[in-house]
Amino acid sequence: MKININRDTLLKPLSAVNGIVERRHTLPILSNLLLEGSNGQVSLTATDLEMQISMSVPNETGDSFATTVSAKKLLDICRSLPDSSEIKLADQDSRLQISAGRSKFNLQTLPSADYPTMTRTPNTQLTLRMPQNAFRQLLRQVEFAMAQQDIRYYLNGLLLEINAEKLHIVGTDGHRLSYISCDLGQSFEKQEVILPRKTVTELIKLMDDSEEEVLIEISSNQANFTFNNIRLISKVIDGKFPDYNRVIPTGHQNKFEINRVMVLQAMQRASILSNEKYRGIRMVLGANSLRLISSNSEQEEAEEELEINYTGDPLDVGFNVTYLIDVLNNIQNEKVEFAFADANSSCLVTVPDNQNYRYVVMPMRI
Amino acid sequence: MAGIIVAMPIQLLPDVLISQIAAGEVVERPASALKEFLENSLDAQSTDIAVSLQQGGIKSLRVADDGIGIPKEELALALARHATSKIASLEDLENVASLGFRGEALASVASVSRLSLTSRARGERHAWRIDADGGQYSALQPAALEGGSIVEMQDLYFNTPARRKFLKTEATEFGHCEEAFKRVALSRPDVGFQLTHNGSAKWRLPSSEASKRIGAVLGTEFAAAALPLDEQGGALRLWGMAAKPTFSRMGRDAQYVYVNGRFVRDKLIAHAIRQAYQDVLHHERHPAFVLFLEIDPALVDANVHPTKTEVRFRDGQAVHRFIFHSLHKALATTAGTATTAAPLIVAETASAPPTPAFQAQPYPTYQPQIPLRAGEGQNFYETLFGRSTPLPTGTSEGATFADIAVAQAVQSISQELPQDFPLGFAIAQLHGVYVLAQNKQGLIVVDMHAAHERIMYEKLKTALDAEAIATQPLLLPLSFHADRLEVATAEEQGEVLADLGFEIAVLSPTTLAVRSIPAILADSDAVALARDVLRDVREYGGSRVLTERRNELLATMACHSAVRANRSLTITEMNALLRDMEATERSEQCNHGRPTWFHLSMADLDKMFMRGQ
Repeated sequence: MKININRDTLLKPLSAVNGIVERRHTLPILSNLLLEGSNGQVSLTATDLEMQISMSVPNETGDSFATTVSAKKLLDICRSLPDSSEIKLADQDSRLQISAGRSKFNLQTLPSADYPTMTRTPNTQLTLRMPQNAFRQLLRQVEFAMAQQDIRYYLNGLLLEINAEKLHIVGTDGHRLSYISCDLGQSFEKQEVILPRKTVTELIKLMDDSEEEVLIEISSNQANFTFNNIRLISKVIDGKFPDYNRVIPTGHQNKFEINRVMVLQAMQRASILSNEKYRGIRMVLGANSLRLISSNSEQEEAEEELEINYTGDPLDVGFNVTYLIDVLNNIQNEKVEFAFADANSSCLVTVPDNQNYRYVVMPMRI
Repeated sequence: MAGIIVAMPIQLLPDVLISQIAAGEVVERPASALKEFLENSLDAQSTDIAVSLQQGGIKSLRVADDGIGIPKEELALALARHATSKIASLEDLENVASLGFRGEALASVASVSRLSLTSRARGERHAWRIDADGGQYSALQPAALEGGSIVEMQDLYFNTPARRKFLKTEATEFGHCEEAFKRVALSRPDVGFQLTHNGSAKWRLPSSEASKRIGAVLGTEFAAAALPLDEQGGALRLWGMAAKPTFSRMGRDAQYVYVNGRFVRDKLIAHAIRQAYQDVLHHERHPAFVLFLEIDPALVDANVHPTKTEVRFRDGQAVHRFIFHSLHKALATTAGTATTAAPLIVAETASAPPTPAFQAQPYPTYQPQIPLRAGEGQNFYETLFGRSTPLPTGTSEGATFADIAVAQAVQSISQELPQDFPLGFAIAQLHGVYVLAQNKQGLIVVDMHAAHERIMYEKLKTALDAEAIATQPLLLPLSFHADRLEVATAEEQGEVLADLGFEIAVLSPTTLAVRSIPAILADSDAVALARDVLRDVREYGGSRVLTERRNELLATMACHSAVRANRSLTITEMNALLRDMEATERSEQCNHGRPTWFHLSMADLDKMFMRGQ
């Protein structure tokens, strides 16, 4: 096998698949990527056994081959070579020789037959198409609420629920929950899957802001995404996601609208002096006024006062400020609305110009 | 098939057989018989007790005392089952103050060995002796004895070969006898004890003060590292000696707890002690201590097990709290305050295994520096002493005599002041790891990371203790399967749980739901945490699980915020560290129980250099 490829052409798929390669492995082949050439194209595949990303790029050398080589080292080499340099790859006696200009590298390879590729399940139950910028935007608005390494494994991911003409996406870590929905324009049978955390973050990283479509294929134990020459196969989390409808409150009477950036900046300032471990902040609501008060264990205090349009009950509610900053950072709209029932029940954050978005956060008793 | 059941009428068992069955519980090995004999001697108000053993006590075990003795007519009864002079009614049993009371021991021992009991009660003309051979009693014979009693057990288990097989080697059995002897000897420093084995004297303990007896039995190292303790609280008193956490053991061998003079191994007490040491001891090490708990006999039940090593307290939670607080207070000493501070002697530290944290972190090879020296103010002492005006340097022309007098006075103060700081003043930093300081007695070496870590940790703890507990209600309550005891605790102790920052609701007789948890632990496994807390609340009336978890978090934070090795400190910074150590509780150990500093006195150094020899 021998191929010639431009450094820039190779670098793009190489960095795309590298994201899921774990550095430390008990299985050495998992730190390798699968390099395949056939039919005028080169394709690269990486997997962590939970998900797999492959990306192919056209390349004139029609040599048919397959081998595996350390993903990290190949990426480092390509990245540090000068722009647009021509790279020659040659496979010899279980070694991959890379040469570009006067540089030469020999890498160990492992047989491609041993590479644990994931196969797509043939029984796809549902197929969706939507512009990738739209899908990416949906994910970005909810992904921050996912749990991280929670023992409730089903929370370490996003729920994708397709019901009739709607797609609902939900993330929660047990303390706060984010929800978004969108219209699909055609009716589907009810279907729900939980996408693992890593899949979600990789999708956000790999999709771009273009109108180009992403093809989403969902089956009971797998989700496949196809876009920009990338094919991502992911296992789904086998579990029952909590009933989000019961958690999202309705009919909260005490509400106010506020400029998102303004309240975000005030909170960021107040959070400097919040307790560094549990980050408590108090929202004190009075007639047309919102005060944000925090204090830390060294008795230092911060207070921010904001003018709002508020006629509801006076309230004094404590929150983990990180949960509030998170939501304000991850939505892009100009205004947000906060709605409360009382100091002990959950707070609902909505966006006036997007009725499909909801964020629920539990108060904290400080 | 339930084996062969021979039909036999129900009948009362012969006395000897009953005693032999009882012996299975009471007389497990020679050491248990020795314990019973020694306790009898102490109950007989003896002031001197001599023990002699042959072949680890298996061949012969003899205890001679100078107590009140047993009158002739009671001698035969003494060996009978359920015969005792220590209690007479149920009221006596409830208020029992003597070590024994069951009236079983001698009968049990007599049924499985050749026992002889010689005694001369006060006022009698001569002693009498009775022999028992596997439960067969001889007639009384006159004997010669100055006073007190001698009980001699020979050939233990000669008539029950099955049990004899369970006896270990002579050395092991002697070890057990010696341990039993030590336990009793520790409990009564006012009584003299002697132990001989195979004719050679092993222990000779004249009657003395408690602290001397403890030192004699547990070794001078223990005595040097031990903190004396004496706390009174209501009807309870706890006194004794607890070794500093740096004197910890790999095993539980140096742990002695007495309740009203009786050695016990009690779960509740052990738990309280463990908690008191929790913050300062490495979790794989065991503390060393000799503790005496005095409590109204009516509030404790020793009649739990024939060997009486277990007790039951009427109010276990109060005892637990009292022990924990007394010990915790004693252990919260600050660096340099204890008179016997830092008992590390060079020869011993050399043999001690190196601490693993630094083993894994070898020192970097030394990189010589360009000799560019920034001038370090030599008058840092002055800033430390808070003096703002500089000293007049020498007698310049304008200086009056008064000025000079003041200057001399101040100078003499500053020469004396270092004595006032137990950890002295920093001289230098060694390889970016240790701070060297000198105090009046000699050299102090401080592990700066360990010391600073402890200081930060204590600060974080005090800061958080001052605040109310913030609770985080859960958006998704966590329900879990619970047993009846857990459900009952959640129902009954709702308030206690709320004080701890927990809200646990009962959903059904077997299901509980965690609705809110303390905010600081919001990221932990709520169900496991709730279970631990429920168990603690049930058993000890309060929970330290939360404090422990919280402290783990704080310890990690402290570790990250403490100065790392290889960070060079200025003299002023080092002095500030020393002053902080003197002001911080428990600053003698780092969060993992390793020592933070040790002391080399001038005498120790002189010895190393063989000065003046």
